[in-house]
Amino acid sequence: MSVDTSNETAAPPPDDDTHAGEYVLGVLDELARRRAQNRIRSDAGFARLVGDWERRFAPWLLRAAPAAPSPRVWQEIRDRLGWRGRDTARDGLWNNVAFWRAAAGLALVAGIAVVAFDRARTPPATTASEQAERPVTVLARGDGTPGWIARIDATRGEVLMMPIPAAVDPSGLVNELWIIPVGGKPQSLGLLSHEKAQTIAVPDALRASFAAGATLAVTLEERAGIPHAAPSSQPIAVGSIRTI
Amino acid sequence: MELRQQDVTEPENELLSRVAGGDRDAFERLYQATASRLLGICLRLVPDRGEAEDILQDVYVAAWRKAPQFDPLRSSATVWLGSIARHRAIDRLRASSAQIDQAPIALAETQPDPAPAPAHQAEADSERARLDDCIGRLEPRRRTLIRTAFFDGATYEELATRSGSPLGSVKSWIRRGLQQLRACLEG
Repeated sequence: MSVDTSNETAAPPPDDDTHAGEYVLGVLDELARRRAQNRIRSDAGFARLVGDWERRFAPWLLRAAPAAPSPRVWQEIRDRLGWRGRDTARDGLWNNVAFWRAAAGLALVAGIAVVAFDRARTPPATTASEQAERPVTVLARGDGTPGWIARIDATRGEVLMMPIPAAVDPSGLVNELWIIPVGGKPQSLGLLSHEKAQTIAVPDALRASFAAGATLAVTLEERAGIPHAAPSSQPIAVGSIRTI
Repeated sequence: MELRQQDVTEPENELLSRVAGGDRDAFERLYQATASRLLGICLRLVPDRGEAEDILQDVYVAAWRKAPQFDPLRSSATVWLGSIARHRAIDRLRASSAQIDQAPIALAETQPDPAPAPAHQAEADSERARLDDCIGRLEPRRRTLIRTAFFDGATYEELATRSGSPLGSVKSWIRRGLQQLRACLEG
């Protein structure tokens, strides 16, 4: 510390407003910055002064030339927030042929056991002859247990979905039903209840997708934005349509 | 372009309000609308791209958590997000001494104010024009120091070294400059 500057370095501390300006300008060293940041958190009046300076310098702030970030940045933000890997799922499991073969096999095995279960609980309003006309598809969960039973009414363009009671997903996400045509991409059929039987009207554009070999799948999704353009995560239950 | 960013009705405000309510789709759209601009702000202070992208991640993780604190009556979403980005980048500068800019600063009494780039002039909005006007009214020494501090993220100590001026003088020039600037902008 040289002698000729000692008088000025000992200058009195600035008033709050000027100090807020110093902080926004960025001239404070590491320790002084941390003190100012603590004060922003604890002192609403000081935080407002800082906000005012940020607004004053905004034209300079926004002058920086934009630069597109690499795709990894968004993926890592999602990971750090503990979200499911939307893009990973899209590129991975959904397009993985081996997974779908295995899932279809599972559904077949679960189907044999569950059709009997379903018959035992036939809704009283449905006659035996009506039942025979409507094929049943079981949507099996990853562990092989049935998640939903789908009864497809091709004439009316409806799918009756009956859930098998199971633990609710704790994340607050909801079930979304998808139809995956043979060789096609998943198309949303909308929100699916996990506790009540529900008749879902199939949009005209998707009716042709309900054919033998197509797949019904359920994913956990955000309620906002349903029907989504594409699933964000791996299916929790899948079933293959064998006959219509 | 700058005009839209300053507009209080900018779509980013609406998105940020929805993010405050936990809307992840809105957050993704907000990211898409603002990430390039925010990376630009980080790169201005931390030129290493990998490091700047790490800061950008911190910025959006913080933005998701702090979104409920955003007050659309006092700020715009782009300024709010841009300020988080700038402060995170400065924090990173302070934590690593490797990146300190040593370029000397000339503090001539009569140094002319550098003219804004033509592209900026063409799209200058009233806020930008006012800031440039008020900066232009400052004594050249104060003006140069405040500019260098803002665009290089330099500390008082670095500014004193780079300009060859006593630390106390640099502090008092900048503080008086800030007070004049506020009086001009609020006047």
